[in-house]
Amino acid sequence: MVPYLCCIILFLIGIYAILTKRNLIKIAIGFCLLEYAVNLFFALIGYKKDALAPIYTNVSQSKNFVDPIPQALVLTAIVIGLGTTALLLSVAVRIYEKYKTLDIKEIKRLKE
Amino acid sequence: MNYLPLFTALPLLGAFLTPLLSKIWERLSDIIGSIITTFLLILSIYSIFLLPIFGDLYVYEIGKWPIRPIPLGIVFTFDSLSLLMVLAINLLSFACAVYSINYLDNYTARWKFWTLFLLLIAGLNGVAITGDLFNLFVFIEISAISSYALVAFGVEKEDLEASFKYQVIGEVGGLTILLAIALIYAKTSTLNMADIANTFLNENKGTLFWFIISLLTFGFLIKSALFPFHFWLPDAHSQAPAPISAILSGIFIKTLGVYTLFRLIFNVFGLNRNNAPHYFNLLLILGILSIIITSFITLKQENYKRLLAYSTISQIGYIFVGLGLSNFFGIIGALTLIFAHALSKGLLFLTAGSVEREAGTLDINELTLLKKRMSFYGLVYTLGALSLAGIPPFLGFFPKLFLILGAIKEKMLGLAIILGIFSILTLAYLLKITNKVFTNKEGEEVKENSLSAISFLFLVFLIFIFGIFYFNYLQPNLINKASEVVIRGIEYARLVLMK
Amino acid sequence: MIELYILLIASIGAGIVAVEIKDLLASAISLGIVGFSVAIIFILVQAPDLAIVQIVVEVLTVIIFVAVILKTTHIDTTLENKMEVRDYLTKGVFVIFGIFFLIFSISALKELPEFGKPIMKIASHYLAKGFEEIKAANQVAAVILDFRGYDTLGEATVLFTSVIGVLTILRKIGKKK
Repeated sequence: MVPYLCCIILFLIGIYAILTKRNLIKIAIGFCLLEYAVNLFFALIGYKKDALAPIYTNVSQSKNFVDPIPQALVLTAIVIGLGTTALLLSVAVRIYEKYKTLDIKEIKRLKE
Repeated sequence: MNYLPLFTALPLLGAFLTPLLSKIWERLSDIIGSIITTFLLILSIYSIFLLPIFGDLYVYEIGKWPIRPIPLGIVFTFDSLSLLMVLAINLLSFACAVYSINYLDNYTARWKFWTLFLLLIAGLNGVAITGDLFNLFVFIEISAISSYALVAFGVEKEDLEASFKYQVIGEVGGLTILLAIALIYAKTSTLNMADIANTFLNENKGTLFWFIISLLTFGFLIKSALFPFHFWLPDAHSQAPAPISAILSGIFIKTLGVYTLFRLIFNVFGLNRNNAPHYFNLLLILGILSIIITSFITLKQENYKRLLAYSTISQIGYIFVGLGLSNFFGIIGALTLIFAHALSKGLLFLTAGSVEREAGTLDINELTLLKKRMSFYGLVYTLGALSLAGIPPFLGFFPKLFLILGAIKEKMLGLAIILGIFSILTLAYLLKITNKVFTNKEGEEVKENSLSAISFLFLVFLIFIFGIFYFNYLQPNLINKASEVVIRGIEYARLVLMK
Repeated sequence: MIELYILLIASIGAGIVAVEIKDLLASAISLGIVGFSVAIIFILVQAPDLAIVQIVVEVLTVIIFVAVILKTTHIDTTLENKMEVRDYLTKGVFVIFGIFFLIFSISALKELPEFGKPIMKIASHYLAKGFEEIKAANQVAAVILDFRGYDTLGEATVLFTSVIGVLTILRKIGKKK
């Protein structure tokens, strides 16, 4: 329960950065935090107390393994996160080239 | 129907081939794009005839991992609701692909457009047919990421600004959905939608259940741009290239936001007006607010595409009114509106692309002064606008009719009147463009381009023919069956797991 | 499991630093601390595959961030600007929303299975079948490459999409005049 709650707090920090920060890179950082929080939460779900990583070895004959499915899903989610972060930052670089600023309040060509 | 994976495999194949083959001859990417979308259209029309043979539900087990007794692998489930979405996606994407061939002369890097376009279609088709929750997330991300890049395809100042805003908000929605999926997995320890439905059926619906529902609803409302999560839409949809605006407004937000919500709320979580009245009332109120507020903002718009983009939000409001009413007429209205709005809004956005090409601007006041006559575009635009506003005999008339009937059936006369009045307002702001841009013009007639004319006539034909044969063909064969899937609710799980 | 809690608190602290610090380079490094703490937590919860991928991805993320910061600016000048009424309003809304969200999630998380005791409905079948049928020693590999191979295709597609997307966005000229 407490580890899950820590992930929720990390999630909220990410939301905070996205909502209140005005610098594009800070927003991207908040977005990364959001992503880590969700990935971590998902990975923690699969943890089983006193169990081993789900790999058969010759050393131990134990069959008490942690849940492999969340691990497989988080693997996908991490890669998806890298893709979105890269895209987001490339847009930020281009915006800086065009506007010469990273302040979101000065990037306002689109009116209501 | 074991060709089901082709709905995603074909566009993916096209997307992977395009970068390679366009090195030989750049125009090859046009050919790949149009052939693939044509094939997809044929496949989806073919499915209309094939699906009833399989009892209106077909389950495809990927990798032959059996769904019974325990769903080990990923499955595709194809029922009448998926069919309706797939049909709408592929009809519109065919029209947009044909239109894009000439339209892309305005832009550089033709092959990048086609690659992203095909990935977008692959993602949308995948969302419509998948029966696995995490797989749904992966497809949502594929289509969302390609749409972020496509919105900024022109790489002008405004495009980049719109794309950044859209990405940040879209990804917050996406990650909220992922968090909800994680919670669902923790609770049920399965990812198959039917299996999840079965597990939740036997659980008591406590705080966790409603926490998951709130997260999912938040995520999907962001994706579908319902008020108050709509602020990213006008920028993104007005800055994208015209065929992409057509797809985003026409089908993208409905597949990612509305269809997924329909599927999860009714089929997986088994909510309906009897066991969750407050939830549906909330959606109803947001829908009504969406219609009222954005209609007034739309009236003030001075930009062709922004006006259309704002009108999309109010149409989404209509769909959510149907979802919130969630009686027979409401569901029929919402599903018909998904289909009708896809075709007519797609058409309107495509005319915007042509007008921009001829005039070099989309500002309505500048267009008024333009010394060019565009009577063909004007005619096509007006037909689309009449359909969108709900004028018979066009297709757009029926969803509005059913929504009003649905409101009357729930004894909400005020709502019925609001729906009626705001559809007239829709007509008013859409005809503002006809009035200012297309009528009373002097100067020479512009020459139409044959390929874009094909896609205009294709969409006009569909709007007209589906309107005429609505009660004879469209409703009994497609809409009614799709609404059965929704109304049957949790029954979905039993049907899938029995197959 | 005291290490787990220390790392979780460290990542929250580093997260706050990353969001609030003025120097963007320091901010990116703090983000790296969060990412690497997450990687160590993955090891602690017996997920070595995840830890390896997380380390690679984290290195890449920090490199991308640093490259972007070097190309743009490394001081967050927006922190010097005076707070307007609207900013206070956003913060106020966030605080209310955050407290509500925390209370809601605390009572919801209580209904989850206890930490360290997953249900493993499907997973037990995988673990039972995986070795005999697929002959994979690593069960995570069995899941991503066989049982749920379609997701991995999707993952590769997402990566492909974002590469094409980045190439599209970094074009110098988009519209022909």
